[in-house]
Amino acid sequence: MKKIFVLLPTLAFVLSVSVAFAGGKQEQKPSAETTTVSKGAQPTSFTKIPVESKATIVFSGWGDQTEQKIYRDSIVRFNKIYPEVKVDYQPIPADFQTKIKAMVAGGTAPDVFYVDDQLMTALGMTGQLLPLDDYMKAANVSRKDFIVELLKIFTYKGKTYGLPKDWGTLGLVYLPETLEAAGVPEPNDNWNWDDLFNAAKKIASNTKFAGFVQNADWARFAPWAFEAGGSYTNSDYTKATLDTPEIKKAASYILNMKKAGALVTSSDVGASWAGEAIGKKVVAMTYEGGWMVNFMRQNYPDVKWKAAKVVKGLNGKRSDVIFTNAIGIISSTKYPKASAAFTIFVTSRENQAEIVKTGFAYSTHPDQIDLVQDPNDKQIAAGGLVGRVAYWGPNTGKINDQVSKALERIYLGAQTVDESFAEANKKVNEILSGQ
Amino acid sequence: MTEEDTGGHKAPPVSSMKMVSKTVSNEQMKQNNENKILTKNRSLSQMKKREELAAYLFLSPYLISALVFTIGLLAFAFYISLNRWNIFTLPKFAGFTNYIKTFKSPDFLRSLLNVFWYSLVVVSFQTAIAILLAVILNKPVPGSSLFRTLFYAPSVTSSVVISMIFWWLYLKTGFLNLAIGKLLGVLHVAWKNIDWLNDPRGLFQLIAGLFGKKIPYSKWYFTGPSITWMAIMFQAIYTTSPTFMIMFLAALQNIPPSLYESASIDGASPWKQFTRITLPLLRPIIMMVVVLGTIGTLQLFDYVKIMTSGGPLGTTLVPVYLIYRETLGTEGPIRAGYGAAMAFILAAIIFIFTYLQRRFIERGTEHYF
Repeated sequence: MKKIFVLLPTLAFVLSVSVAFAGGKQEQKPSAETTTVSKGAQPTSFTKIPVESKATIVFSGWGDQTEQKIYRDSIVRFNKIYPEVKVDYQPIPADFQTKIKAMVAGGTAPDVFYVDDQLMTALGMTGQLLPLDDYMKAANVSRKDFIVELLKIFTYKGKTYGLPKDWGTLGLVYLPETLEAAGVPEPNDNWNWDDLFNAAKKIASNTKFAGFVQNADWARFAPWAFEAGGSYTNSDYTKATLDTPEIKKAASYILNMKKAGALVTSSDVGASWAGEAIGKKVVAMTYEGGWMVNFMRQNYPDVKWKAAKVVKGLNGKRSDVIFTNAIGIISSTKYPKASAAFTIFVTSRENQAEIVKTGFAYSTHPDQIDLVQDPNDKQIAAGGLVGRVAYWGPNTGKINDQVSKALERIYLGAQTVDESFAEANKKVNEILSGQ
Repeated sequence: MTEEDTGGHKAPPVSSMKMVSKTVSNEQMKQNNENKILTKNRSLSQMKKREELAAYLFLSPYLISALVFTIGLLAFAFYISLNRWNIFTLPKFAGFTNYIKTFKSPDFLRSLLNVFWYSLVVVSFQTAIAILLAVILNKPVPGSSLFRTLFYAPSVTSSVVISMIFWWLYLKTGFLNLAIGKLLGVLHVAWKNIDWLNDPRGLFQLIAGLFGKKIPYSKWYFTGPSITWMAIMFQAIYTTSPTFMIMFLAALQNIPPSLYESASIDGASPWKQFTRITLPLLRPIIMMVVVLGTIGTLQLFDYVKIMTSGGPLGTTLVPVYLIYRETLGTEGPIRAGYGAAMAFILAAIIFIFTYLQRRFIERGTEHYF
């Protein structure tokens, strides 16, 4: 499942939505609109900042052709406001993080590039990224303009090193026909753990479909863990909190589902990941994200699927996991102002409203969550309001790996829930103490 | 030729010249000759120097690049292994902490054990299969060149393509399970599909299971290679055997047919001929194949990166993948010093293995030539 997460950025949160342009300017023609923005005649929240003359900046990100087009278009929009800045877009479709690290070490890094938790750890915490706070102030952009939770990863010692460009979360993705075949009503906002358990069990025993598919994966486990009141580490990321009743409660629930035959893994049903199992119509339900929209449209256009919010915990509370990436600037850039202008523009309300229109990603501004129109997308995106960013400090990757391994041991029946999470807890503490 | 030699042959004093005119003329001639030789020698030594200089000049592109990119980088890597370094800021001296940390790391020790199993199984099987294939294809049977091409095909196929094909074969609902299931179905034996690329059950665990015993996963050093690991070993053997087969084939064609002819006149059976003539004469090539195979297997990286990322439960973790993970910080902070220390320890292990193999296999080879 881990590999799916490597693929996620490339599949990227593609959502089919139609949106209204922020500020009600939808009826404006693009050329007229941008001209007015640059002349400052239109009411807009966007403030232009002074930039270096004749600046040429290099911008790199990962992504397939769809994503590359989104950012080429963003550059065109940027140039309508900042015609004096030349942006050289150099996408790096594979091994992005490794390449960026090598380029930074070699002094050839792009000026502006995508930053995820791995790059934030490698570059943000070693002084390689430019703090953006002063430039944000100059452009009248505040941290509060963004969904605050998203900024958590990109903040270090009180400074902002990246502005979130998009985000994703999980929802309950299901095939209505499978529920109908089992005589189970479709999920609603009040479904909780028990409802999902019973529905999955009924489907698995009464139909040819498997009930619920979930692999031994830290990300898909996170909503259960959060709803049970658990967390992978303490709030300052110094101690593991995996050997707790909350985490074990969530893990026991998953294990019981598996024992009851209600939960399968994707390989059990001949799929490489849960989304594919839905596409192949071999399973009724799973927890997946907004990337399902594009995936299903491209690969299984005839399969009718729906999405609901992740189910509530037994205490009636709902929680979800959030994944996010930002755009940051290399500290050694020759053009910090032009780079900052570009970063602020690309992540601005104005530009994100245009990106959301393409169905590519959710906006990182809280007041733009409503722009999502498609009912399935809306259900998945709702997780963002109750979500927590999957970030546990510099060792996030290793901690997540230990959680996945703990789940794997439970899935295999190699260890009990108590044994497995006690072992994971010990290993994470070793990692956190630098051993 | 030194200056002392030239000083010893100065002209004699004038007073004694008449008395020893003959001798003088003889000596002069001798001296002239010697002078000529000296000049010749001097010019020879100059020529030799010039030649040396020219040779170094011709060699310089390689020497400089070797000095910078091999020796220089090795020295740099060793320096880094003694430091804490995040590749962006200045390294901080840490002494041998990285080495100590490496030996204490359960991940590293586990990766060594994994790669030991891998090396042992893959090298043994690939060498044996390569010899077998080469011997079969060396016989002048019709269609042998076609089989040669067919057998060699996996070696020239891209490792990514091979990985994809095996990935499909190994799926839980894939061909391998289907084939085994059908085959056992004929014998009325039930077959539970195996998730070949995600099954951490170890060989010894499975054997112990047959006797009703249980080896827990926490005792990883007793579990033996996992099902996933063995599946990858099979893939590696399938891909690399043909390359070595070609080497054996070339060596077989160098063995004089007269040896076999005389052996058969003496009444040696084909098996005797194989064990007494073919194998001993292939010994240098076997030695090369085993050494190359060992070095290659100890440096395994691509299959692990593409197919398993070290999982399930760390049963396919290998040292080079760990070095990559730590040096580039793919799961946590960048620790290039730690990665470099691991690399040096791995290099030392490879050196020791190669040395031992040379000692054991090369010994006695020369008797046959």
